[in-house]
Amino acid sequence: MTSVVDGVRRTALAVWRTYRVGLFVVAVGLVLTLLTPRFLVEGNLVNVLTNAAVVAIVGLGMTLVIASGNFDLSVGAIAAFAGAISLSVVPTLGVGPGIAAGLIAGAVVGFVNGLIVAELRVPAFIATLGTLTILRGLTLIYTGGRDIYLVGETGYKILSAGAMPVVLAVLVAAILAQVVARTRLGRHVLAVGSNQAAATRAGVRSNRILWVVFAIVGATAALTGMIISAQVLTANGRLATGLELSAIAVVVIGGTPLTGGRATMIGTLLGALLISEINNGLNLLNVPVFYQSLTTGVLLLAAVGVSTAGRQFMKRAILPLISRMSE
Amino acid sequence: MIETGDDLEMTTPPLLEVADLTRRFHGVVAVDHVDFDVRPGEIHALVGENGAGKSTVINVIGGVLQPSSGSIRIDGQSRHLPTPASAQDAGISVIFQEFNLLPHLSVAENIYINREPTRGPVIDWQAMQRGSMEVLQRLGLEVDPRIAVDQLSVAQQQLVEIARALSFKSRVIVMDEPTASLSDREADRLLEIVRDLAAEGTAIIYVSHRLAEVLAIADRVTVLRDGRRVFTRPREGLDESQLVAAMVGRELVYTASPQRVPGELRLRVRDFAVDRVEGVSFDLHAGEVVGLAGLMGCGATEVVEGLFGLRPFAAKEVTVVGQAIAIRGPGEALRSGFGYVPDDRKRKGIVPDLPIKHNISLGVLGRMRRLLFIDGRRDRSMAEGFKQRLNIRCHDIEQEVAGLSGGNQQKVVLARALASESRVLILAEPTRGVDVGAKEEIYSLIDGLVADGMAVLLQTSELPELIRLANRCVVMANGIPQGELAGSELTQEAVMTLATRFDV
Repeated sequence: MTSVVDGVRRTALAVWRTYRVGLFVVAVGLVLTLLTPRFLVEGNLVNVLTNAAVVAIVGLGMTLVIASGNFDLSVGAIAAFAGAISLSVVPTLGVGPGIAAGLIAGAVVGFVNGLIVAELRVPAFIATLGTLTILRGLTLIYTGGRDIYLVGETGYKILSAGAMPVVLAVLVAAILAQVVARTRLGRHVLAVGSNQAAATRAGVRSNRILWVVFAIVGATAALTGMIISAQVLTANGRLATGLELSAIAVVVIGGTPLTGGRATMIGTLLGALLISEINNGLNLLNVPVFYQSLTTGVLLLAAVGVSTAGRQFMKRAILPLISRMSE
Repeated sequence: MIETGDDLEMTTPPLLEVADLTRRFHGVVAVDHVDFDVRPGEIHALVGENGAGKSTVINVIGGVLQPSSGSIRIDGQSRHLPTPASAQDAGISVIFQEFNLLPHLSVAENIYINREPTRGPVIDWQAMQRGSMEVLQRLGLEVDPRIAVDQLSVAQQQLVEIARALSFKSRVIVMDEPTASLSDREADRLLEIVRDLAAEGTAIIYVSHRLAEVLAIADRVTVLRDGRRVFTRPREGLDESQLVAAMVGRELVYTASPQRVPGELRLRVRDFAVDRVEGVSFDLHAGEVVGLAGLMGCGATEVVEGLFGLRPFAAKEVTVVGQAIAIRGPGEALRSGFGYVPDDRKRKGIVPDLPIKHNISLGVLGRMRRLLFIDGRRDRSMAEGFKQRLNIRCHDIEQEVAGLSGGNQQKVVLARALASESRVLILAEPTRGVDVGAKEEIYSLIDGLVADGMAVLLQTSELPELIRLANRCVVMANGIPQGELAGSELTQEAVMTLATRFDV
């Protein structure tokens, strides 16, 4: 009997953890629908979804890094770097090799991040701040401070055309969710993030796990960077500035704790959707640009605050109620 | 001079009374109508298993928690203690197990935190130092009050906590497991200080697991079980087995270590050196427990961590079942046939965010893969198997490990070590922080494993545990093995004699 109740309790908590952001997505959507007729229109919704997908892809990689107890501040720089590499490969070798080159560049840089964090024991915050600065510099040197344009080559647009970004985001989410839930790698990532000393003593090769995790986030950052480059058919050293903060924000709003040991990919998708929706709404409502950043920040704090309060409510009111029903 | 509880009753009025105290958490009763009192100059011990309600009681006394009903009385007056500060004002200091010291501040600053003496608007450093020196001297602690607290040993930090309590002129000092992380010698010194404090009229509430210590120091003892008071009695006429029986609610017989029949040679170690440890050699057979013992810092910890690949070592020979092995990391140690239960369950053992079943299978996921994915049924059935075999008490193996009691967490860590089908099981402090009942349970689990042919290497700093489990023992002091004891030679006295041999 207690076991059943306990299961219900746990399921209730898990569902709440994963989908509470969904409530905000729906709520904000309803409010915007009431406020402006321009929100619930197919064209606009595609916009919202596409913008969400671009941040979500790198956010999904970031979810894995955060679950391992780390951060990656270099994702914006990786995105710009991979975009530049990719765009300069495409004219000579074609679209496929161009995309592959970008992904590999991102994964390699991420792998180096992993080496620095795992082997040199530099805190991820400092290590990736360093690679951020180095990569921005490298990209500026490589592009000569100018924009790289892709002229005449429209095949590259496939990355950003139509529903492609959304499809890619869902695909990456599905893969990484399976990795976390069902593979040895995923289990080891959570263990390292929850208690690295214990994981190591259980035989987990914690250092290798960190190499892999940083390589994965590097690849997702590269994919995001190439989608942005495909949207504008341009690459430069300043592309995706500040992406790291949006990526971390969608992870946290999605419900993955910064303390490591847990991950929710669906939460991250929903978190990205919420931010995209809010930004879109502010545009539609003609809120002056200066006020948008302010409003977004306040809404984010409110969302996190309310969901924390909601968790307290679950713990204090709902869960005791479930327990009491069993007595 | 205080003699018995009854004499006290007649002569001195109580200084602090816990009166009909009840405290509930979410409807669960943690403390159930508990009464006891402590008089000036009395050392009153509070004992009970983990979860018996001791912490809740001292948290209420310290103003951290509020009573659901009942009250705390001081000098016969019921006192409302809404905050720790109000408890301090009422003359009560609680020294918690996890110290409340600020590690980067100086000793003097820690003693005077929040009530620094001032001259005009600035802190009067000289007065602060003078005052600190005074209380530190009373405690016989010779440290410069200007140095940072994190430079001190754990025992010294403990004394700084007491110094703070003294400088508050506290009339009641509550100590929670004050000797838990001290060496025997430091613990003896602390007990002397506690006696001196009592002799000067301070009332002491002394919470401890160490029953020998309680019987050595207390004037009266209150036993709690499941949130209720079992009894309060003067120390005279009490012995350990009575206390244990009262704590666990049944007569607990410490069985002697069973006869063991050693089988094949499992582990052979010759001239093992790690850090400052040298010349460790021993054989370990199937079906026996070999102990590595000594005082804190003797080097036994380094040896077992070295064998498990956590520290680089040098050795003339390390063979497992006749096979020479190279161990450069825990992964290789596992593959060579070692299982390991680390000495610090919280920091090195459990993975708190993962459910029980995932904690158990963490090291052997490679074996339960089907294509890319972990076979969830094998994962589950393995955990269910260990739940039965080790009697892990939980609602469900999906539960997070963080929610289990210390003893059951330890069983999960043990299950993980066994899951790798190890041929040599290394147990480091297997019952640290585990309560009395669970302790004996873990001992009989180990007995069972050994009877089934497991070879166990035991590193422990608790002598009774060593005697209870090991049939042979290598005793170390200052990184050097002092000798091997077996059979009837293996007594607490013999171990202590060897362990203190170089300790002049």
